[in-house]
Amino acid sequence: MSYLKIEDMEITFNSLKGSFTAVKNINLEIEKGQIVSIIGHSGCGKSTILNAISGMVFPKKGKVLLNEKEIKGPGPDRGIVFQNYSLLPWLTVYQNIYEAVDAALASKSKAEKKELVEKYIKMVNLWDHREKHPKEISGGMKQRVAIARAFAIDPEVLLLDEPFGALDALTKASLHIELLKLWNLTQRSKTIVMVTHDIEEAVFLSDRIVVMNNGPAATIREIEEVHLPRPRNKKDTVNLPEYKLIRERLLSLLIEKVEIDDSDFYKEKVA
Amino acid sequence: MKRAIAITTSFTRELFSGSEEIFAPEVLFKVLRKIFRAVSNVVYSLLGFGILILAWHIMNKSSADGLPTPIATFQVLWDLVKDPFYDYGPNDKGIGLQLGSSLARVFTGFFLGSLIAIPIGLLMGANAICRKVFYPVVQILRPVSPLAWFPIGLVAFQSASKATIFIIVITSLWPTLINTAFGVASLPDDHKNVAKAFGFSKWKYLTKVLLPFSLPHIITGLRLSIGVAWLVIVAGEMLSGGVGIGFFVWDSWNALSLEKVISAILIIGIVGLLLDKGFSYLEKKVTYSV
Repeated sequence: MSYLKIEDMEITFNSLKGSFTAVKNINLEIEKGQIVSIIGHSGCGKSTILNAISGMVFPKKGKVLLNEKEIKGPGPDRGIVFQNYSLLPWLTVYQNIYEAVDAALASKSKAEKKELVEKYIKMVNLWDHREKHPKEISGGMKQRVAIARAFAIDPEVLLLDEPFGALDALTKASLHIELLKLWNLTQRSKTIVMVTHDIEEAVFLSDRIVVMNNGPAATIREIEEVHLPRPRNKKDTVNLPEYKLIRERLLSLLIEKVEIDDSDFYKEKVA
Repeated sequence: MKRAIAITTSFTRELFSGSEEIFAPEVLFKVLRKIFRAVSNVVYSLLGFGILILAWHIMNKSSADGLPTPIATFQVLWDLVKDPFYDYGPNDKGIGLQLGSSLARVFTGFFLGSLIAIPIGLLMGANAICRKVFYPVVQILRPVSPLAWFPIGLVAFQSASKATIFIIVITSLWPTLINTAFGVASLPDDHKNVAKAFGFSKWKYLTKVLLPFSLPHIITGLRLSIGVAWLVIVAGEMLSGGVGIGFFVWDSWNALSLEKVISAILIIGIVGLLLDKGFSYLEKKVTYSV
């Protein structure tokens, strides 16, 4: 039995206009310590799958199992990094992480919590910025705070919802490395499920890539295995033939028409 | 211009050569510029008051002594302010005592009103059913002049003074209630999701998410409430009699002393301004920037 399992899941949203099926027939098994990306076009329900794992959304049919237990709601065994950082603007960097740790690890003593928070702030190199408020730091730093917050509650599963979508390419690359570094520091024991629409990001980080069909009622199209050696780095990994192969494969899966059909254009010109 | 600055700079250097870190020319210029700005602001507002007094003077000349002259009025104002706390029986008290009792009524009513408005506002903002239940009631009652409630207050409390406090309670309800509800209802899903994802307790959610987010809105509501309460108290005390700045205005009118009426208007204005400044200071204190 695998560690994280989605069984024949269907998710429907009810609105005033009627019900809308976001995803259906979703079957997915994820091993402990794997990094899995879910990739697809906008509106294909990839975030919906992530929300089902986090327990914020409930399936209409099927179920999500973690350690053979059905997920009934959000819990501290799953840490989330949201798309738009979601830091509380009235708290400092330190407090943002501390309040999450305080809530999720209520049984620990105050000193232990403090130590944990400090450890993770140092891990993401934000020690000098710990007393700043979110508005005083850059987008990349905010996302590092969010990642540190998710890691600090020591979850078994990390859920990342387009975590680097709003960042520039350089910041993105350095955060990829930072994420892998944190994953390594925790003995690669944490399972990471990430939603993205960036093909290169998915290939670089993941062990497996789940490619979605277009919605509504989106299904899984294909699951790609990525056997690139670890530790990976930006310079060598991207030049491996397998990296390029997988990237090409994903490109052709996601972008149906690479060429533009321009015959109409010429017809009009002749007329 | 540049030359002039250069000369002044060298001049100040010579003057304060011993303590350059404190009297560095740049710092001195900054201070001077600040002083200049403050002085010019005072001059502008004096100009405004000058125009007002001039208009008053012209009206006084053209209305054949119906309106008191500015000088006579300021004389009366000075007499009032000089000895604010005398007490010669129920119908003759100093302006300070009158103001004090009005302020006490306003703050009592405002406090009680806020005590009712903030929790209901929180409920209305957080819960859609509460919003649906209370919002129509609020919409009907909000546009009613609080003075219309005076008779009900009289019947309920059998006392004019308590009835005045009652209308202030009613007055203070609406802006605070509506702003609180709006503040809570506009809490972004992102913040709610953080609380959900990390398993915030109810208490942590209230103190670390909901209240910090809605506090600026609540304070804005309180600021509007106290402003309207201060408007209403004058009219309320005209109805209720007794002691208070509103009663003082009415009493002065009955004694045919327009000087006193105008003096009271000035005093009411200044107190209202101070109340507003106090709450706007508080507002700035609790507002976080995103």
